[in-house]
Amino acid sequence: MRASKYAAAILTATLCPVLMFGGTVSGKVTYTGTPVKPKPIDMSKEPSCAKQHNPPVTTETVVTGQGNTLENVVVYISAGADDANAPTQTVSFEQKGCQYLPHVLAMHTNQDLKVLNDDQTSHNIHPLAKVNREWNKSQPPGAPPIDAKFDQPEFISVKCNIHPWMHGWFAVLKTNHYSISKENGAFSLPDLKPGKYTITAWHEDYGTQTQEVTITGNETKSVDFAFKAKAY
Amino acid sequence: MRMGMQFRVRGNSPWGRHLLPAALILVFLVLSASQNANALPAFARKYGLRCSACHESWPMLNYFGQKFKDNGYQLMNDHDAPIWQNASYWPITLRITPFWSRESTNKIAVDTAGGGTGETRLTTTGFNLSGLDILTGGTLEKNITFLLVPSSDETGAFHFESANVRFDNLLHSPWLNVKMGKFELDSFISEKRTLTLSGNGGGYQLFHFIPVGDGNIFGQLGDNQLGVEWMGHSYNDRTRLSAAVFSSTDGNVDLPYGQNSYTAFLAGSQAFGAGKLGVQRIGGYAMFGVAPTTYLTSAGVPIPGSGLGNQSFSRYGFEGLFYLGPKLDVQVFTQHGSDNAWFGACYGDIISGTCDPANNNTTGILPAGARNPTWNGAFVETHFVWNPQFTIFQRSEWVRMSQQAFATNPSNLGDIDNYVFGYRYNPFMTSRAGFAFHNEYSWLRQRGTSPVTATDLTGNSLMLGFDFDF
Amino acid sequence: MNTLKAAQFRVVFVHVVLAALCTVRVVAQDAPDVGPHPHQPLKPMESHIGHVTGHAKDAKTDYRRYCAGCHGDQGDGNGENAVWLDPKPRDFTIATFKCRSTPTGTLPTDQDLFNTIGRGVTNSNMPIWNTFTDHQRANLVAYIKTFSPRWEKEKAGDPINIPAEPPVTIESISHGKALFTKLECWKCHGPEGKGDGPSAATLTDSKDQPIRPYNFASGGDDARFKCGSTNQDVYRIFMTGVDGTPMPSFADTIQPNDAWDLVHFLRTLQVHRHSKENDVLKAAGGTIPPYVDKAAPSIQPASGAAGGGN
Repeated sequence: MRASKYAAAILTATLCPVLMFGGTVSGKVTYTGTPVKPKPIDMSKEPSCAKQHNPPVTTETVVTGQGNTLENVVVYISAGADDANAPTQTVSFEQKGCQYLPHVLAMHTNQDLKVLNDDQTSHNIHPLAKVNREWNKSQPPGAPPIDAKFDQPEFISVKCNIHPWMHGWFAVLKTNHYSISKENGAFSLPDLKPGKYTITAWHEDYGTQTQEVTITGNETKSVDFAFKAKAY
Repeated sequence: MRMGMQFRVRGNSPWGRHLLPAALILVFLVLSASQNANALPAFARKYGLRCSACHESWPMLNYFGQKFKDNGYQLMNDHDAPIWQNASYWPITLRITPFWSRESTNKIAVDTAGGGTGETRLTTTGFNLSGLDILTGGTLEKNITFLLVPSSDETGAFHFESANVRFDNLLHSPWLNVKMGKFELDSFISEKRTLTLSGNGGGYQLFHFIPVGDGNIFGQLGDNQLGVEWMGHSYNDRTRLSAAVFSSTDGNVDLPYGQNSYTAFLAGSQAFGAGKLGVQRIGGYAMFGVAPTTYLTSAGVPIPGSGLGNQSFSRYGFEGLFYLGPKLDVQVFTQHGSDNAWFGACYGDIISGTCDPANNNTTGILPAGARNPTWNGAFVETHFVWNPQFTIFQRSEWVRMSQQAFATNPSNLGDIDNYVFGYRYNPFMTSRAGFAFHNEYSWLRQRGTSPVTATDLTGNSLMLGFDFDF
Repeated sequence: MNTLKAAQFRVVFVHVVLAALCTVRVVAQDAPDVGPHPHQPLKPMESHIGHVTGHAKDAKTDYRRYCAGCHGDQGDGNGENAVWLDPKPRDFTIATFKCRSTPTGTLPTDQDLFNTIGRGVTNSNMPIWNTFTDHQRANLVAYIKTFSPRWEKEKAGDPINIPAEPPVTIESISHGKALFTKLECWKCHGPEGKGDGPSAATLTDSKDQPIRPYNFASGGDDARFKCGSTNQDVYRIFMTGVDGTPMPSFADTIQPNDAWDLVHFLRTLQVHRHSKENDVLKAAGGTIPPYVDKAAPSIQPASGAAGGGN
C-alpha cells in the first residue's frame, strides 16, 4: 500500500509538472424515489420574521433541484487525507429571517465558529451535541456574535427552541476536504494528493454513503452519489 | 479474602444446596392477623422507585421510606396528585404468603385413657396460607392521602385493617398532618412491617402483651385503632412527633365496649447522622387510656356499648434504630406497662370473652388483694442486610412481670422469652412486585401457663414460605 | 500418643471449621448477589464536598438500592422504570446536567451534583434525598462520575459569579418585565409565566422527549424551581441555562444588574407565593409600570466573552 502510494507519487511527480494543484474529485448528488415535499413554514408567531418571507419559506430537511439533484449533502474525505489542522479563518452561522444560513455548516474540529443574529428577535442557539459538549445560549437582537468551537468530529443538530421550525446542522469534520452540494447537486473536492481516499456523503435525513476513489495525478475523478428518498 | 475468591470459583453450585438443608431443620407457622405489612408495589409503580428505595428489606421501612410515609405517601415533587398518573394506574396491592410450616407445642391439654386430663406435645407439619391483605393507598389530591386495607384471615373472613384519610402539610407545614379513621399507631418500629412471619415469632410480644388473667385488651399498641392523629415532622424527617386519640375498642368497629372510653398515644423520635455509620434514630412512646370494667346487662348478657367504670392503663418505653454501617442495623424497643387492678382481676373485656361475662364489676368493690399488674420488657432485633435482596435477621424478646395482680400468683407467671431468626431473600428487585423466599425459626416460652399443670409452655415454629405482593 | 492425637485432632478440627466458614462464605457471596450488576470495573472516582470525600466504590449498594430503578445499572437513564417516567431520568453517560453553578456546556461541580441529590427535582420523579448522610451523598456523586469518560478528561466549569442582590424596587421589576419580553422568555413560559407561550407545546429536550416550560404561577409558598428556590437559584438557573433542555444560558447577553431585575420580575409571576417582590408590587398599586429606558439600551453586550459578569 504505502509502497504503491509512493510509487504513484513519484510517477506523477515525474510525469506531471503541474502536480501542485493535485487531483479533484467532483460529481453530483441525486436521489431516487419520491422525496417528501417541502412544507411551508408558518412563522406567524414571529411577525418580524414572517414579513421577510413572501411567499413563506419551506422546510429544508430535503432540498432538491432540477433533475433529481439533492442539495445540502456534505461530501468529505473520511479516510486517506491527512488530518490537517483547523484553518485559521472563522466560519459563520447566521440567523436571518428566523432561518439558519447556511442550513448545513461544515467546519474543521477546533475551527473558530461565530454565530450571528441578524434578526429583531431573540434566538437561542442549541447545538444538540452528543459527542461534543452540548450547550444552549440565548442571543437577543444586537447581541455580539457567540464564539464557539467543537473538538470532536460530529454531525450536530442545531435548534432554536424559541422558534421550533429553525433547524440546522453543524458538520464538524476532521478534514478540510469537504464540499456541500449545491442546488444542482454538484460538489467538488479539489487539491487532492495522489492516493486512495474514502469519500463519504452525508445527508441529514437519508444518512451516509461512502465510495473509494484513487487519485493518481492531476486528474479529476467523477464520483456520483444517489440516495434513496425516504417516502413519508 | 483470598480464600473467599478461591472458593468462589466452585461456588457455582446452587446456593440452596448449602442452606436449604440447614433451613429445613428449622421452624414454624401462622401469620397471625396482625401481619398486615404495608409494602406497596402500588407506590413503586406510581413513582418508579424500586422496593429497596423505601424498604431496608421489604416490608421494613428505611429512613427514606419513613419520610415518604410521613409526607402522606408523597415524594413532594408536585407530581403526587393522581392527576399526574396514567389514567389506568390503580393503587392496589395484594399480599399473601403460602408456606410450609412445622408447629410444635410442648403442653396441650389432652384427654387421657383413664378419663382424666393430661398434657402432651403436639407437633403438626404441613402446607398453609396466610391471610390476604388488599392494600390500597395513595393520594386523592395533593396533600390528601388515603389508606384502605381490607384484610382477610386465612379463611377469607374480611375486616378493615386500615381505613383512613390524612390531610397533609396543612398551612404548607410538615408539622401539621391530621389523620382520621383506623390506623396503625405511630411507632417507627412497626409490627406491620416486621421481617418476621412465623407462628411463634411473627409478632412483637410487647405490642400485644396482656398479663395472665388480665381483662384489658385495649392496650395493644400493635393493633390498629380507630381515632384521630396529629403528626408533625421536620422537612427532612429527622424529628418526628405525633399524638393520637382513639376509642378504647382495640380497633373494633361499632363501639362494642365503653360509653366514653378513650386512649391516647404519643410518640416522638429524633434522627441524627453518625458519619459513616449512617443515620441513627432514637425515640419514645407513651400510651395512656381508660377502658370500662362494668357493663349493663340484659337478661344477664352484657349490652354492647354500655361499658362504665373506666379504669386506667399505661404503656411507655424507648425505641431506637441504630445503623452500624450500611449492612447492619439494630432495633431496640422497651416497655414499662401497667394495668389497673380491676383489669388484673379480669374485669374489662367481657364482650368478646377475654373474661367470663359473669365477671361483671357490678359491686364496685375490688377483690381483696388485687393489685396493678406491672411488667417490663424489651426486644432487640438485628438485621444484617447483605444487599438489598438478602437479609438475615434475629430478634430476642423478653417480658418480665414486676408485680402480679395477686400476690398468690407465682412471681414469674406469664413471663415471656421469645427468640426468632431467619433470612429473607428477594430473588429479584424491581418496582413492580415484591417477592421473598422466607425461612424462619422461632421459639417461645411462657412461664406457668400450661393448661393442666401450670408449668412452662413452650412452642416452636419452623416456617418456609413465599411472601409476595403485587 | 495422646498429645499427638490431640494435635492431630486440633488440625482436623481447624480444617473442618475453616471449611465450614468458607462454605458459608461461598453461599453468602454467590447466592443472593443476583440480578443486574453495576458496570465493571468500577473506576476509583472521588468527589469532594467540603471536608467530605466521596468514594465511588462505597456507593455501589446505595446506587443499586435507590437509583438504578430509574437511572439504570449502567447509568444510561434506562432503568426498568424509565419508560414510565416523565420527564425521563438523567443519562449519566453523556454527563449533561440540568442544575449547575457552571456555564452552559461545562461539567457541574461536585457540590452541584451533591445539591441536586439532596434537593430533588420538582415536577419530576427525582425524590428529595435529604435522608442520606453527607457521606452517602458524596459517595453517590463520585459514583455518578464513573459513568462518563468526560469526568476523567475534563474539569468542572468555574462557577459563575453572582454579585450581591440589589434592593427590590418597582423600577427593577419593571425593567425585568421589559427583559422578559425582549429576551423572548414569554415565547415558552407565556406572557404571565404560566408555561403556555406560543412555542411551549413544541419543546423537546435533547433526547427528543416533550418537555414543559416551568409554570411560575403554579404552587404557593412551597413553590420550587427545578434547581432551587432562592433568588440566587433563579439567577443561577438562567445564567447557566438548564443543559439538556430548551432553556438557554443568558450569561453572554445579560449584565448582572439586569439579571437581578429579571429575577425580581420573575418572582412577581409567582402570584400565589409571598415574596418581597410581590410586596413591592402591591405597594406600587399592583401593576407594573412600563419600563422607561433612561440612559443606555436595556441590553448591552456582556463585557467578557463567556462569564457575563463585570
